[in-house]
Amino acid sequence: MSRDLEDQILEAHAQHDQMSLVTLYQKAGRIAEQDGDIDAACFFWTHAYVFALEQAHPARDDLHARLVTYGRET
Amino acid sequence: MATDLSVVRQPIETANGLSNDHYIDPVVFEEERQAVLFNSWSGLATAAEVPELGDAKPVEFLGVPLLLMRGKDNVVRVFQNTCRHRGMILVSEPKKIEGAIRCPYHSWCYSHKGALVSTPHVGGAGHNTHENIDRDTLGLTEIPSYIWRDIVFVNISGDADPFEVVHAELLERWKEFDSPHYHGGADSTFTLPVKTNWKLAVENYCESYHLPWIHPGLNSYSRLEDHYNINQYGRFSGQGTYVYRQLTNDAGDVFPDFPGLSEKWNTGAEYITVYPNVLLGAQRDHGFAIILEPTALDETKEHVHLYYASQDTDDELRAKNTVQWREVFEEDVFVVEGMQKGRHAPHFDGGRFSPAMDAPTHCFHDWVASRIQIHREQQQAKSQAAE
Ligand code: FES
Ligand SMILES: [Fe+2]
Repeated sequence: MSRDLEDQILEAHAQHDQMSLVTLYQKAGRIAEQDGDIDAACFFWTHAYVFALEQAHPARDDLHARLVTYGRET
Repeated sequence: MATDLSVVRQPIETANGLSNDHYIDPVVFEEERQAVLFNSWSGLATAAEVPELGDAKPVEFLGVPLLLMRGKDNVVRVFQNTCRHRGMILVSEPKKIEGAIRCPYHSWCYSHKGALVSTPHVGGAGHNTHENIDRDTLGLTEIPSYIWRDIVFVNISGDADPFEVVHAELLERWKEFDSPHYHGGADSTFTLPVKTNWKLAVENYCESYHLPWIHPGLNSYSRLEDHYNINQYGRFSGQGTYVYRQLTNDAGDVFPDFPGLSEKWNTGAEYITVYPNVLLGAQRDHGFAIILEPTALDETKEHVHLYYASQDTDDELRAKNTVQWREVFEEDVFVVEGMQKGRHAPHFDGGRFSPAMDAPTHCFHDWVASRIQIHREQQQAKSQAAE
């Protein structure tokens, strides 16, 4: 994960900005997937998914589908 | 040693009240907590405290952490406010749950109906399932609840008969009042902290004997003989009046009536305790509820709520009504606090009842004693079974 993205995630945690946490972790997951690191991608998507669930964020279903695809969620 | 309840369960003519230990002994308080409060349908809160879909409010009842929640399906539920994983408190301040309840510890997520919907990393990092974690069996623990007149009653032990069965006679008695009761809002609720055991607040509420002495203002238009006792042994007690008078403002306006009431309620009103801890008032134009929250052996919070037949009542009249009731309930504070102090007198025997005036009080003591007796029998059967 880039230094910049990591800083943004830490900042969003500090601000309890759950909506931003969804999009930032989603992005981190995509980058890890592009790098071929599926474990890391699923780790980030799990975080994105949980915050999306909490906020009823529209990305919820897409994140769920990705995790299911990789056998990480039911 | 267990207190002697047989004197309480005599007919009123010869009975004594509950002994001092029921008011000042922490061991008996623990026994009553289970036998009288947890094993019955106790008043916890009002549904008005979670007005909107997704509203969640943590509430404690005698140390038990609970969560009051209005689901997206508009059903009010009560859960243990405890995560099924490591027992973390789930919600620590009132808030709106937009999607799921996320545990602040390891982020297990629960739906607004309490179902466990996500268990992040439970099978290792990035793996959110595990064969031993069966989500279907790990939802939030729901506490049986029932809403009547906007009051949320809970049966914490989970094994009481249904509320409609336990309180069938009372529901029938007041069924004319089944129309919607609208909470008057922020100006129609207040809390009186009193230094007394919760039972003394019930005892004082149930009887009309004290009215001319403690509430001379009320009584200038409402004489002792205008009141009657209500005692359903084993069920509920309270008092009624034949001379209820509506509050008016300078212009002579009154609150609108609840629809469909029969004539007897034109000047009739009733004040009944739903055992153990909810004091209710039913009148043609407004109702009220006092939920007694026992916060310690000798400390109680009286949460007062006023209800109307319409969502839209006159602000000034409503404020005047709140002031009037606050004055009445404040007049009772020194009595319930004084009786609590009186319970430290070692030679007080629980007191002598007036057979004419005190039946509602004896009815309550008799019920409390019966609940404790049942509990003691159950405990005994359990310990015999264990031997
Ligand atoms: S205690 Fe709630 S997720 Fe661990
Ligand atoms: Fe009183």
